[in-house]
Formats: sequence, structure tokens, C-alpha cells
Amino acid sequence: MRTDEINLDDMKQLWEAQDKKLDTMLRLNTRLLQAPVLSKVESAMRRLAFVLGVNLLIDVLLALWLGSFLWDVRAEPRFLLPAAVLHLSVIALLGNGIRQLMAIGGLDYSAPVLEIQKRMESLRAQRLRATQLTLLASPLLWTPLLIVALKGLIGLDAYAIFSAEYLLINVLLGLAVIPLAIWLARRYAERMQRSPFVQSLLRDIAGYNLNAAAGFLSQLARFEAEENHAR
Amino acid sequence: MSTTLSKASAQDRFLTMLDEHKKILYKVASSYCRSTADRPDLVQEIVVQLWRSFDRYDESYRFSTWMYRIALNVAISFYRGEARRSRHTVPAEDSILEIAAEEPAEDGGLQLLYELIAELDELDRALILLYLDGNRYDTIAEILGISETNVGTKISRIKQRLRRRSK
Repeated sequence: MRTDEINLDDMKQLWEAQDKKLDTMLRLNTRLLQAPVLSKVESAMRRLAFVLGVNLLIDVLLALWLGSFLWDVRAEPRFLLPAAVLHLSVIALLGNGIRQLMAIGGLDYSAPVLEIQKRMESLRAQRLRATQLTLLASPLLWTPLLIVALKGLIGLDAYAIFSAEYLLINVLLGLAVIPLAIWLARRYAERMQRSPFVQSLLRDIAGYNLNAAAGFLSQLARFEAEENHAR
Repeated sequence: MSTTLSKASAQDRFLTMLDEHKKILYKVASSYCRSTADRPDLVQEIVVQLWRSFDRYDESYRFSTWMYRIALNVAISFYRGEARRSRHTVPAEDSILEIAAEEPAEDGGLQLLYELIAELDELDRALILLYLDGNRYDTIAEILGISETNVGTKISRIKQRLRRRSK
């Protein structure tokens, strides 16, 4: 068969011929699929749930500790403000984590392809948005973290140690780091092919992964709606 | 004890049904992974997800319809670089699906066929795979979650595209 002769009927004939051959060619490795291997699947999922559970527990403990710190410094705005910023960030992280866990737990892969792909890609976009926001906001959180940790853990006053100007400059530097990080991520994301983890992180910061997720969601919508355009 | 027994019998039932439909594993993996090295990973991901979903399998539906939905959902996610949580559950040197003889994709016509399938995006690829496998439009619509009319429209669009390609 030549390329210039191909049509869907030719393809179907080839496919049927392949089907017949496959009956004798394929063998399921049942030894691999016996009890110990299939139960490994369950334990791998239990391990994953444990890790996610520990992460959420850490966030809960942090939110509780910050809550109690906020109460203790309620009359001191210079500590109250940075602690409130941190508290809100941790609560946002926690809320996002719980929402993601619930959504992943409720995914049923045997649902129609389009429905599952839309839910998965929306989840992915949500996760990417949260990661991008967390990575970009972290330089801004260093100063409040320093103030709250010194006061809350060892009772030291960061304003007295570092002076208010020094702390303010740190916040401003944190602000300046955000556009710089985006610029660097956009510049180097595609050059980091040897390190998939770093590359993915840079693509998250640059927003490329989020754009790809949005692109796939539009593709899914077009696939679903094509019928109306065709009429 | 009875739980262990029912789990063992569920596993036997699962393996029997999987064995009867193993060709779906091969076709989906070959359509979504052009690199033969990636196929065992995808097959593993699909089997893991099938087994995890098996207790929710409703026997009033055809097993192949249920299996296609899961296999295609996993394959599309795999293709997009997601859903690799269960990697290395099976030793890397082993493969769940063994090929006893020369791979049919080595056959010239089939190779071209898989190349044409690879030119389609991940959704049209699912559609054409289901069509080539002889599924009716209503079954394809049920698996993909689109209307039967939409299936027909898309099939004729792919036919037109192939015709344009051959000119």
C-alpha cells in the first residue's frame, strides 16, 4: 500500500488483519499479575495517600500555630500583619490541597473520556496556578517568615535586630525577584532538557504548563462542540 | 478469610477478562506510544488503573466498553505526561504484555497506518482507534462522551482529510 492510495477502508482492512495476528501473538504475563504484584498497587497508593496526608497535617499544624501566634500578638500590628499574611497563605495552601485530594479521590477513570479529561485538565490547571503562585510569592514571604519565626520560636524581635529599613528593603527585593524569576524561567525553561524536574519547575513559573493546560481544555471543548459548527 | 477469598476470586475474574481483551492493551499502547520502549510503561499504567477500578465495574456494561474508557483515559493522560503514580510497580525488566513473535507494526502497511494515526491529535486518535476496531457509532459515542452525530461528523472529516492527503 502506498501513501497516495490510503483511505479509511484500507485502514480498516489492515486493522482487521492485525487483529487476527494478535490473537496468536500476544500473551498476558499472568505470573506478573498474581496477588503480590497487584497488591503492590494498593500499597503504592496507600504510600501516596500517606505522603499527601502528612503534607496536609503539617499545613494544619502550621495554621494552628500561626493562629495561636496571631492571638498572642493581637495588640502588636508589626507582628500581627506579617503573621496574618503567613496565616492566609497557609490556609490557602491547605484549602487547595484538600480540594485537590477530594477531586483526585473522586475521579472515576471508567467515565466517558471527554468528561474525565476535562476534569483532569481543570485539576491540572488549578494545581499549576497554585504552584506558580506559591513559587512566585515565596520571595515575598521570607521577611514575614523571619519576623514571625524569630518572635514565635525564640522570642526575638526582628525589627530590633535588623532595623525596619533592612526588613523593608528585603520586601522590596522580594518584589523585584518576581519579574526577574519569570524572565529567567522563560529564558531557560526550554534549555533544561537534561533535568526534567528543573525544566518542569521553570515551565510552571513561566506559565508555559498552564498555557498548555488551557490549550488542551480548549481542544476538548472544540472536540465536543464540533458537531454544532458542522451543521 | 472470606475477604481474602473474594479478593482472590475477583482477581481471577479480572485476569480472565483482561486476557480475553488483551488486544485492546496492545492497540491503545501502539497508537499512543510511537516509541516501543514506552509501551510497557503505558500498558502497566492501564492495567493498574483497570485493577483499581475493577470493584466498580458494572457487569451490565460490556467489559470492552469499560476497558476502552479506562485505557483511553490513561493513554491520553500518559501522552500528556500525567498519571505516572504507579510506575515501577512491576519490575522494569518484565512486561505485562508479551509479544510472542515479530511485532505486526513492523509490517509496512501497518507501520504506515500507525504513522497516520500518530498524525492525529490525542482525541481524534481515540476516535479512529475505536472506529477501526469495528465499534458502532453509538458505542464510540458512549465511550468518548460525545453524541452519535458528532462521531459521524468527525469520522467523515477524517475521511476527507485522508482523501486530501492522497491527492
